[in-house]
Amino acid sequence: MSAAADRAVAPPPEAPASAARARRSRRPSTWRRLRRQPLALAALAGLAALIVVGLLAPVLAPFDPNAPDVLHRLQGPTARHWLGTDELGRDTLSRLLYGARTAMLTSFEAVALALVVGVSCGLLVGYLGGWWDRLAMRATDILQSIPSLIFAFAVIAVVGRGTTPTAIAVAVVFAIVFTRITRGLVLREREQQYVDAARVAALRTPRILFREILPNVLGPVIVEAAIMLGAAILLVAMLGFLGLGLGATTVDWGHMLDDARTYQGVQPFLALPPGLAITFAVLLFNFAGDGLRDAISGRAHEARPRRGARRRLRPHPRAAARGTGLAAGGRGEPATAAAGAAADDALLTVAGLRVEFPGEDGDPVEILSGVDFSLRRGETLGLVGESGSGKSMTALALLGLVPAPGRVTAGAARFGGEDLLALSEAELNRRRGARIATIFQDPIAGFSPLHTVGRQLVEPLQTHRGMSERAATQRVVELLELVGVPDAGRRIRDYPHQFSGGMAQRAMIAMALSCEPQLLIADEPTTALDVTVQAQVLDLLHDLSAQFDMSVLLITHDLGVVAEACDRVLVMYAGQIVEEGEVERVLARPRHPYTSALLAATPRNEAGGGRLPTVPGRVPPAWEWPSGCRFHPRCAHARETCRHGVIPFADGVRCARVHELETAASR
Amino acid sequence: MRRFLALRLAMSAIAVVLAAAFTFALIHLSPTDPVTLALGDGASAEQRRALSEQLGLNRSLAHQFGAWLGGALHGDFGQSIFTHQAVGAELARRLPVTLSLVGGAVLLALAIGLGLGFAAGLRRGSWADRVVTTVVSVGLAVPAFWLALLLSLAFAVKVRLFPVAGYTALTQDPFQWARGLVLPCFALSLYSAAVIARHMRGAVVDVLGSPYVEAVRARGTSRALLVRRYVLKNALATVTPVIGIQVAVLLATSVVMERVFVLPGIGSLLVSAVISSDFPILQGAILVVATLVILVNLLVDVGLGLLDPRVRPQ
Repeated sequence: MSAAADRAVAPPPEAPASAARARRSRRPSTWRRLRRQPLALAALAGLAALIVVGLLAPVLAPFDPNAPDVLHRLQGPTARHWLGTDELGRDTLSRLLYGARTAMLTSFEAVALALVVGVSCGLLVGYLGGWWDRLAMRATDILQSIPSLIFAFAVIAVVGRGTTPTAIAVAVVFAIVFTRITRGLVLREREQQYVDAARVAALRTPRILFREILPNVLGPVIVEAAIMLGAAILLVAMLGFLGLGLGATTVDWGHMLDDARTYQGVQPFLALPPGLAITFAVLLFNFAGDGLRDAISGRAHEARPRRGARRRLRPHPRAAARGTGLAAGGRGEPATAAAGAAADDALLTVAGLRVEFPGEDGDPVEILSGVDFSLRRGETLGLVGESGSGKSMTALALLGLVPAPGRVTAGAARFGGEDLLALSEAELNRRRGARIATIFQDPIAGFSPLHTVGRQLVEPLQTHRGMSERAATQRVVELLELVGVPDAGRRIRDYPHQFSGGMAQRAMIAMALSCEPQLLIADEPTTALDVTVQAQVLDLLHDLSAQFDMSVLLITHDLGVVAEACDRVLVMYAGQIVEEGEVERVLARPRHPYTSALLAATPRNEAGGGRLPTVPGRVPPAWEWPSGCRFHPRCAHARETCRHGVIPFADGVRCARVHELETAASR
Repeated sequence: MRRFLALRLAMSAIAVVLAAAFTFALIHLSPTDPVTLALGDGASAEQRRALSEQLGLNRSLAHQFGAWLGGALHGDFGQSIFTHQAVGAELARRLPVTLSLVGGAVLLALAIGLGLGFAAGLRRGSWADRVVTTVVSVGLAVPAFWLALLLSLAFAVKVRLFPVAGYTALTQDPFQWARGLVLPCFALSLYSAAVIARHMRGAVVDVLGSPYVEAVRARGTSRALLVRRYVLKNALATVTPVIGIQVAVLLATSVVMERVFVLPGIGSLLVSAVISSDFPILQGAILVVATLVILVNLLVDVGLGLLDPRVRPQ
């Protein structure tokens, strides 16, 4: 999430060399992910079988693939010839098996050749960069303006026909693709720390290329190679079909299809076996490649969304119903309304909010475990915690925007007499942007890059107020001037990439204000901005919340921001609120050891360049949250009592030893 | 925008010349001697020298290339070594066939690919998405010419809905022209439709997961407007380069389709030129194909410039 937060709590920077090793050690989890993809595994097994069939074709084939038998020409499947015979009476099954041998040999030969040439070229130009790179890329541009099949024609015209020329023709085409892919990957890897470190260590270029960079780009390249093997089979088959293939005695599937074309009127069955064989082989390579790609990039999960993913748009109706009562905590833990001040002046009261995601192994993982708090009218409430503590998810849940396949499983969010979590998407849409506005961490990324800023800014006014384009534009320009965007009338015609981060965030704020919301959710509004701009934006938010009489839920990892902008603060850790209180009190006398640790890790403008203090360790992922107090593995004060049972949220803090510790501190 | 266009146009022209130079160089690398090819082994030294002179082979390579390119600019691509027919005229006769075939396939691939990909991406995880994903996987693996064989067997041989083979010029009979193109265009388009659908689906899924879509939803914009205004445009911008590549793929694969349906396009000319090593035809045909691809890339760049302000020149 935020760089600063990560810096504050990260372990000491790793030595670059070990970083490279760490990247390489992705392998075990890659295999683990691959093991969970039955389709990819089946494809790999199928490929292995296909290779074995190819190798053993002479043993497996019942007949000589080239032995004519004029008495049994153009037969359909019979007991003697399972897949029939062709126009010379040759056995189709035997030809199919030998065809597998040819297909495998030529495509592997071609791709291996292309890999060696392409990856070497890519590594080199990517690493050398500059003119070499530009020259090579222009050259590949030109070469790629000749489509691959036509290119193969030219190569065959030059080197002649046969197995090796065909492989060379295909290899030349693919080498260009590998060059581009490798070069792209190298450009990315070059920016990595470990390459800098290797250069600083004065390692020689070939060593850096082959020992440091190559292992890291190999994964994606292998994936591409798998897909290319499939493409090679198609390409070789096409050449064979066109009669530009391998020659008379070599059996290939493409040529078999060409024969089938000639005799399709007499024996239509001829077209089936080779066509199916090609399709099947290419499918196997594609599935294997896709599976490898997902396993390497860790997207196996994304690639095959589970059943129920569609439910994301709305909380589970039953769960929402369950959560309408304030005391509905579910899962054994009694709801303990964090703010005892669930009083009349509360604008928003959240109780027992739970959010779940399906875990890697299919079991649901809870990432919000009963969040309770309330927000008073006109108040600015801070929600603070490290990355992964669930702050942003809390905000998204309130807006009904929990990303798929996560969902709200329980809880209620009372806002102006209704439960936000029980509203339909359409009902929510009428509140989002109108009564609840949101600004996000990265303001530039928060605008569609292809639409002008003005076009996007007028949207809430048009949607919620039914204003005309013209009236809305006029109002937006006023608001932009209010939030300090100079030359607003002209800037609304600009695109997001023409805005600086600070200006874009001001524009976001102007849009958020446009429908005069009662609640503004600001999710890390200053994190992506320059330090000097941060203070300006915070001041702006502060002034505007008073001017527009808005409550603000300010999500941040930075206690400095809390100190500057908030009235009250909630401290969140691992999906739970662990402390709540007035800002002055929390900053002066934190009660939860986690809050103390966060405070200690907040950089102050003190003299001296000692190491930044950090909270040791990091927030564990949701599926590894411990029993008992979730902070206990990182807590200096943890005792046996902290490891078990449910630690209740009582009296503004969730710590089993709070009284002991406070007594000890006051002594 | 005008400067951008002029620049892209100039770059394209250079690309055409370089592609021509490359083809020319490649073919002249060939160990096969065109003079021996044309005259056979039994020709006298006199005959050989005469033909060499006629083909310009006794000049320097650079001179030969210059002369050939100069001629090509005027539509003069030389003569076939064997038939002595003008290559330019032959190409001009065949170009409409290739353009009809590829043009039709491009339109089909766009309609099918963008439509299916868009629908599947919007409904990620649904049964419709799963059906599309499966069809796409198969579509990526089925060889176009095999599909063409099966289609022609089913709809031309068994049920005589479409002609088995041959091409009717548009100017001669528009209905027959369209009827003859249905099967080849459809069979040709399938692979590219699958590629485009796959990318479009991925692009839609990515866009839906982007911060700006979260922001659009957080301001209460209706899903219909979100999809129409933001998802469609952003996804299209991502897929546009893929479309350019697919047009090139369609051009190449049209060669195979011409063989199945016996269409007299550039592709069948190319194949016979490769088999007979008829280099003037080979050079001319490859240059035409490369020029078409470069033109398509130009169109794609301009289209992308219209869609995405970030690639527009300031």
